[in-house]
Amino acid sequence: MLVLTRKVEESITIGNHVTVTILEVKGNQVKLGIRAPRSVPVNRTEVFESVINENIRASEAPSDLESLTLPIKAAAAKKSGGL
Amino acid sequence: MNTINTTRFGEIEADESQAIHFADGLPGFHDRRDFIILEHKPGSPFLWLQSMDAPDLAFVMINPFLMKSDYLQDISPEEEALLKNETDDEIIVFSLVTIPRGEVKKATVNLMGPIVVESKSRRARQVILANSGYSHCQQMIFG
Repeated sequence: MLVLTRKVEESITIGNHVTVTILEVKGNQVKLGIRAPRSVPVNRTEVFESVINENIRASEAPSDLESLTLPIKAAAAKKSGGL
Repeated sequence: MNTINTTRFGEIEADESQAIHFADGLPGFHDRRDFIILEHKPGSPFLWLQSMDAPDLAFVMINPFLMKSDYLQDISPEEEALLKNETDDEIIVFSLVTIPRGEVKKATVNLMGPIVVESKSRRARQVILANSGYSHCQQMIFG
């Protein structure tokens, strides 16, 4: 891991288009300002990891969905045309 | 037509119109970029997102508006921009379903991380709506 020391109002630039600025340091909390193009998603790491973990769980789906089909069908009939 | 090997469905024939491409892969599966969308069964609300090059990699998907008819109505303009990603193309939104082994009734839907497909270009992304208040494991409602 690259380690850099920065002061408040200083920043780092990642690639050509992403800039992270230290806005405020209070106790053990650091406030960051991130400037990035819209195509670069910025997320808290724990949120991103929760999606990774959920994707991994979702990938273990059984191929037999019979027991799920019936109740959902009723909901589908009620609210058709959503897509 | 391409023949795709799958663990769950055997060999299937798929044409280009079923294929979608995730330029950045899926979180957790960065090297899997090419998928096809399959109907589970005619009339079923479920779809499959099947990897074209990993036979055993497939996800169950559902139209999230069946779960929540007002889904995405109240998201912020910033998150709406994430969904649309500056495309003029029509976007189609799916949600991944997690089905715990042997506990089908505990199935959950990932409303926080919808799969967005651009209908003409067939480009796809998983968008994280971190500030929307949507859960990544929303309990499915039965009946």
